[in-house]
Amino acid sequence: MMILFGTLPYNDFPLTFGQVSREGDYLKADGREFSRTQGTGAMISAALAIATHFKEEPPYVLVAGDIGGGNGTRDIYQYLTERVGELAPDFIAMHYSLPIMALMRKFIEAVQRCEKRPFLIADAGAMYAAKGAGLSGEFDIFTPDPSEMAFLADPQATHPAYIAKHLFECDASLVPQQIAEAFRSGSAAKLLLVKGKTDYVAQGGEILHAVNEPDVPHLEPIGGTGDTITGLVSGLVYAGLAPKDAAVFACRTNRTAGKLAEPNPATKVKEIIDQFPRVAKEYYCSWSGVCYMDDK
Amino acid sequence: MADSPKGTKFVGDGIVIFHDVAGAMKGEKAVRAAGYEVKLVSPPPQLRMGCDLALEINLVEEQGIERLFQEKEVPFVQVLPLTKGASVLCEVIKVTDFGRWYMVKAGNMKLSFEKETGLVVNVSGGGCPDIPYLNAEMVDKTLSQTPQPRDIGYTLCATMLQRAYEEAVRLFEGGSLS
Repeated sequence: MMILFGTLPYNDFPLTFGQVSREGDYLKADGREFSRTQGTGAMISAALAIATHFKEEPPYVLVAGDIGGGNGTRDIYQYLTERVGELAPDFIAMHYSLPIMALMRKFIEAVQRCEKRPFLIADAGAMYAAKGAGLSGEFDIFTPDPSEMAFLADPQATHPAYIAKHLFECDASLVPQQIAEAFRSGSAAKLLLVKGKTDYVAQGGEILHAVNEPDVPHLEPIGGTGDTITGLVSGLVYAGLAPKDAAVFACRTNRTAGKLAEPNPATKVKEIIDQFPRVAKEYYCSWSGVCYMDDK
Repeated sequence: MADSPKGTKFVGDGIVIFHDVAGAMKGEKAVRAAGYEVKLVSPPPQLRMGCDLALEINLVEEQGIERLFQEKEVPFVQVLPLTKGASVLCEVIKVTDFGRWYMVKAGNMKLSFEKETGLVVNVSGGGCPDIPYLNAEMVDKTLSQTPQPRDIGYTLCATMLQRAYEEAVRLFEGGSLS
């Protein structure tokens, strides 16, 4: 079982747990529809596209409405902390949520009591909470952007808006140095996928891959294109790829989908998401050398 | 009292602790409007909750600020003397020219708008729950029509988006690229 965890941008969307499906321009779980774009919805859409391509069981989602007050965040943390042992998921991806370190600590304590430890990915508020609580090492993958990488590199920071002055510039050329610093200070997950003009995949303090192509500068302004990378790497790990290979595939998939969508700064992320099935079908065989045959 | 638009050089000797980020943002708006010199800072580590925000002030102005908060119904926890330096909110703003559009980046947040119309076309970055909500509320509205992040946001990501919004408005109104 794969669980995708995060808040939705609604004030009154109740806590919802169930397998997700695509219904036109929406996602649906446990009878409730929600947006497939932006934030957690974009992450789920990307993971669902990959699961569908590989004919995996559709992911489960654990979502609740939260527009910043923290109510939905508390609900989903409480639900998962109380049930993670019973649900015994193989994989959990944690995403948008208010970074409340105490909730993250309780959740990780519950994970540590599980008979089988789930594979853990975090991005967005969940990553802030994990880093702020000193629990980065409990996670298998973090997916920061360059400003979040500077935050991970600052041992004192508890939010990307507050980082040491020497990191203010968010200079992309400093990312490799910041990756090394984050691993040195114990602020990195086991693997980092840093998404930016150049995407980096790093493990154990060492940069394994730098992905530059295709270069699509207009992806940067489009809200949700970082969220989709988190969903892609989640879907790919769940489908059985090794984490470092999944990370490289996720970067290449996002970039290639961006190129195919021919975006400009006004493009919406769903136009990128809609290219993922095509990228998987047309490119994965040549990228991996392992080709997947459709059922006749 | 002295006004400093962005408060970047201000160094205070007191700090106001708030219940939440929304309170801090409301407090900053109130005291700036009243002409106090202040800046948003990180609260002391033992009082942080992750997205917390505090207001650095001149301690000598404590009474007036407390009174102002009561008049404006700004809830806060307490005012404390600042005995050591607090982290400063990232104030670096970068603008990328995409031809028909500008992308304004403040800290970890980005806002893109059409130069000719002021239409907000995308909001990206950030990881707190109000950011997808702000995206839904702001995108496809003009800079003059859209609600401001500090009025409907809650977190530090919204604080940074407010910085980007203010720079976007400045550019749209004819300000030069700095």
